[in-house]
This record gives sequence, C-alpha cells and structure tokens, in this order.
Amino acid sequence: MNLIDLKHKNPQEVTDLLGAKEREMLVERFVSLGLPSKKSEEYRYFDVEKVLDKAYETLNYVPKTLEVSDKIEIVDGVVVAAPQGMRIYNEACQQIDMDHFDPMYYLGHLLCPQTIKIELDGDTEVEIEHTYTQSDTLIHYRIVLYNQANRHATVYENFICEDIENTLVLYGYDMHIAQDSTLRVVKMQSMQDNHYAMIASHKVNVAKNANAILKSFDLGGDQALQLLKVELLEHAHVDAGHLLYLNADSKRGTVSQIVHVSEHSTSKQEAKNILDGEARGIFDALIRVEHSAKYTKAEQNSKSILLHDKAYMASKPQLEIYIDELEASHGATTGQLDPKQLFYLQSRGISYVEARKMLVIAFANTLIEEVKDTRQQERIKSAFEAVFYKNT
Amino acid sequence: MSNTVMKIENLQAKIGDKQILKGLNLELEAGKVHAIMGPNGAGKSTLSKALVGHYDIEVLGGDIIYKGKSIVEMEAEERALEGIFLSFQHPVEIPGVNNAYFLRTALNAKRKHEGKEELNAAEFLREMKKHLEMLGMKSDMISRSLNEGFSGGEKKRNEILQMLILEPEVIILDEIDSGLDIDALRAVSEGINKMKDGKRTFLVITHYSRILDYIEPDYIHVLKDGKVIKTAGPELVSQLEEHGYDAIEEE
Ligand SMILES: Nc1ncnc2c1ncn2[C@@H]1O[C@H](COP(=O)(O)OP(=O)(O)O)[C@@H](O)[C@H]1O
Ligand SMILES: [Mg+2]
Repeated sequence: MNLIDLKHKNPQEVTDLLGAKEREMLVERFVSLGLPSKKSEEYRYFDVEKVLDKAYETLNYVPKTLEVSDKIEIVDGVVVAAPQGMRIYNEACQQIDMDHFDPMYYLGHLLCPQTIKIELDGDTEVEIEHTYTQSDTLIHYRIVLYNQANRHATVYENFICEDIENTLVLYGYDMHIAQDSTLRVVKMQSMQDNHYAMIASHKVNVAKNANAILKSFDLGGDQALQLLKVELLEHAHVDAGHLLYLNADSKRGTVSQIVHVSEHSTSKQEAKNILDGEARGIFDALIRVEHSAKYTKAEQNSKSILLHDKAYMASKPQLEIYIDELEASHGATTGQLDPKQLFYLQSRGISYVEARKMLVIAFANTLIEEVKDTRQQERIKSAFEAVFYKNT
Repeated sequence: MSNTVMKIENLQAKIGDKQILKGLNLELEAGKVHAIMGPNGAGKSTLSKALVGHYDIEVLGGDIIYKGKSIVEMEAEERALEGIFLSFQHPVEIPGVNNAYFLRTALNAKRKHEGKEELNAAEFLREMKKHLEMLGMKSDMISRSLNEGFSGGEKKRNEILQMLILEPEVIILDEIDSGLDIDALRAVSEGINKMKDGKRTFLVITHYSRILDYIEPDYIHVLKDGKVIKTAGPELVSQLEEHGYDAIEEE
C-alpha cells in the first residue's frame, strides 16, 4: 500500500481504497482534513511526504491467544502477551473524536476497524512494550485505554525493534481518564539508524477532577511525530512533559492541542529540547480555552539547547483564548550549553565529552527525575547515554 | 630557585581586546606558600585563569613551564589531571548536576589518569565523610545540585572539598576568603593547611591580608598593572597594610 494514493481523493475513492464501508463520517473527516503534505499546518516541520510516499507491505491483524508476561507485549500491532488478569479486548472503538485536528487520527481509525482495548483495573502499574519486526511495512494499530474512577494507574511505554528498515508505524491512543482518577503515561522511545518512522496520533479525554500526566522521552536520530489532543472537563488537569534529544537528521517532536472545555481546568506543558547534528525539533503546541472554561489555568514552556549550529528548533507555543477569567503563561527559549559551566567541570579534570554529557543530562534531569520508578528512570538515562555516546 | 615547580616567564595575555598581563614573571617553589597581593583590577584573577587554561584568556606571549614542560597549549582538563587546581573566586552553579556525582566523576577521572581503580559510589562516600566533617559541611550539601543555592561560604567550602579530594600539586586559591565569616574562614584554612605536606605548592591570591593570618606565606609577590613588581618575605604584609600598594616601587 502507498498512502500517497489517498492524496486528493474524494470520499468514495477513499472508501474504496481503504475498504471502509459504513464509516462515512470518518472518511468525511479524513477527506476534509486531507492527507498531510508539506502544506499542512501540523506537518510543516516534518517530512511527511517522505514517509507516506512508499509502497509498504501490509499485515493481517489476527488476534492471538495471550501468553502470560509481566508486561503487555504488542508485536507488529498485535497483542501477544499480558499480565495475568489484564483486561484486553479486540473491538471496534466506541468513542472517536469527530473534531480532531489530525487527519492521521482518522486514517488510523479507518485502517483499524478493530482496536486494542485495555481496561486498567484499580491502582495498576503496567508496562506496554511495542516491538516491530518487519521491514518495508506499514504497521498500524490503535489502542483504547480506560482506567477506573478514583484510581491512580501508571503506564510505561517502551519501544523496541529488530534490525528492520523503512517501516512506517501509525499508531495512537484514545484515552478515557475517568472522573477523580489519575492516569500517568510515561513513554520512552529511542530511535536510531532508520529502522522505522512513526506517526502517533492521540486523543486524551480527561473527565471531571481527573489528572492526566503524560511524559514523553523521545531520543535518537529518526523521524517521528506525535500529535496529541487533550480535552479537559471541569477541574481536570493535564501535566504534559516532552523531552527531545535528537541527533543526525532527525525531524521529530510534538504537535499538540490542549483544549480547556470546562471551568477550573488546569494545564501545564513543558518541553525540553536538546538538538545535535542537523536535527530539527518540533514543539507546535496550542492551548485553547473555550467560552465554557472560566477560571482556567494554563502554563506552557519550551526550552531548547542547540549543540550544533546546524540544529534547529521549531518552537511554537500558542494560546487561543475566548474568555477573560483565566491565568495563562507561555514562553520559549533557545540557547547553548553554558561555557562557564563546561569550563568548571573541565577544570576539575573531566573531559570535554563527559562535561557536555553531564550538562545535557542536567538540563533534561528535571523531566527525567519526575519518573518515580527507578528502573524506568535508569532506562531513560541509559538510553540517553547510548544516544549521546553514539554521537560523539 | 633550586626547586621550581612552575615558572611563568614574561607572560602576556589579553581578555577581549584588552591586554591584562604585561610581561609577568613568577617562579613557584615546590612545597611553599606563595601569596599574590595586589589592588583590584591588577590582573590577579586573569593570572589564575591563564594558569588553568580558561577560554577567556588569550596568551599573546611568554610561557608557563610546569614541571619542566610548557603548558600554554594544554587543554584545561589535562592541566587539571596533571595536578593544577584553581579554587575559583566565583564558582558557578550547575543546577541538575548532583554534587556527589560531580565530585566522584572528577576523582575517578584523576584516578584513571593515574592508572588507579575507579571508586564506586559507596567507597567514594566513605572517603568523603571525613572531609565533610572537617569542613563543617552538612552531608546534604553533596546530595544537592553543584553549588546551586549555596551561600558564599558554602561555595568556598565546596571548592576546598574538591581540592582535598583531588589532591593537586599546585593549588591556586583566588580570593578564597572573600565573603567568608570567621567560622568558614577557619574551616577553609584548616582544609588548606591540611594539604600542606612540604611538597604541594600554594598560590594564595588576595587583595586583603586577613587570610594570611591563617595560612602562613613563605613569599609575598605584589602584582600591579599586569606585572609582578616585588617579591619579598612575609614581613612585606605589614608594610603593605601600612603604606598600601602605591608605595611599592617596581624592582
Ligand atoms: N571577562 C572579562 N572581560 C573583559 N575584561 C575583563 C574580564 N575579566 C576581567 N577583565 C578586566 O581585566 C582586568 C583585570 O581583572 P582581574 O584579573 O579580575 O583583576 P583582579 O583579580 O586583580 O581584581 C580588569 O580591568 C577587569 O575589568
Ligand atoms: Mg580577582
């Protein structure tokens, strides 16, 4: 399949190409947003045509009998293992956002009539491990995640791949965070050597009094974009943190929309970006406060460090506000490592390479240290070092 | 001088477009305490930065010979590994770098350079304990970020802690006493005196003689307008206190 074939097609043609009968609304939305191109607002910093315009192999997604494991294991878009008693189903997604900004959200749903539905029980902590094993393949799957009211669950997402090349992964979540609950999702993805590219398109619904804590750690030299829409109801809160550490010719980052729908909702979004080589980091983040969302508090910040003069950060924090009764702040800064700090470390016999690493990790540390689980924290730090040393 | 560890010959250096050191000569005798005194702006900090290879300083001429070799072209980290240490007048704060991790990384870099085994975190902490006590440092100071939010006194104690751990051979102390209260001054001086073993050499830079009551100098050098204009014994201190730097004639 070559996704570029979907360009400038009418609903009937798209329906035929995707075999998407009886999904007119989704087709409609997809066609009206259009297949992303250089000209699409959300994809303008990302070489989307490069990853779309390829003849990919496709896979059959046949549900498997699950092995017992200490984590949820998803291989090429199919769940193969899970902890005992974990509630996982294959079923059609019941609640699709009909007002998402991202066409790939709709394409994902069109390609995945069956989704992986995970219901988190109680105060669970679970790891989801995504594995990719196929080259030259379009791997697509979607996950629907529910947690329980009054409960505090954590999901750690990790990604591994075999020695593959030229694969494109389209995946994403629809998360439903129940009233008075907390869902914490920590994503760690280190991508190197052009094994695969990724477009991840998410929707997060945060119910009354609920907390969404979304932390992403994106490292390496490959191409990936995460598109995130969050909707906040009354007294709902989102705390989003994004760490980018890129090298080579990576183009990668976050395009997000945080929508304050109801009163007293709060959002905090922090991006830290470290760019080496000829990498381009993306933080294109809109906070929208609707008429109905009085007494909102929104805080947004992006800090970038460029380690190389060819590196570039596309930082675009934006506020779109329809009311007066709110507190909002946003800002973006870009700079280099502090030569005084570098020198101080070197003057104690620490090599230039080590000193740089220490300062780069120090910059990232405020985000890394928010990951409370020490094993996951170590994992992030060592992935960080692996990318760092590979590059120096 | 028979036992010279460092020899600075006709050193000329600039910061930006401004020449600060204008043909400075100085010899440091191994195992001795050399004090450099001079008015504000004389070039004392510039000299100390030149000795450790700070990027602000451009050497225009002359040489710095350390243990028989020129070090002018050497990287800062190499000079440190070879045993030159500067306690900064204004140590920088580095948020996010854990102090203990920094100290251990520095010590292990040095140990590796000397072909010794690196220390793990537990061994390192054991080593640290005695130093912390002597310097009157609370143990939480090494679990904090490097110098972040430290008071002036805490920063200087932390400099001395680094000196104690790294055991350098030439120790340059730039205004180590500035901003210290009496307790801190005592603790810092005790740390410094503990390092005196008849082999290590000290270059105590100050524009104020108070520190010299605690660390007894063997030689006093007066630095003015980018040059050392006089060298004498400790008796010069009281003379300087009485008559000031203006009374000193270039020798
Ligand atoms: N980073 C700098 N850039 C420009 N001029 C400097 C810098 N640092 C010091 N200077 C100048 O160099 C001269 C000597 O400074 P310094 O070596 O700090 O003197 P001291 O330590 O003896 O008080 C002063 O005139 C000072 O203004
Ligand atoms: Mg000074």
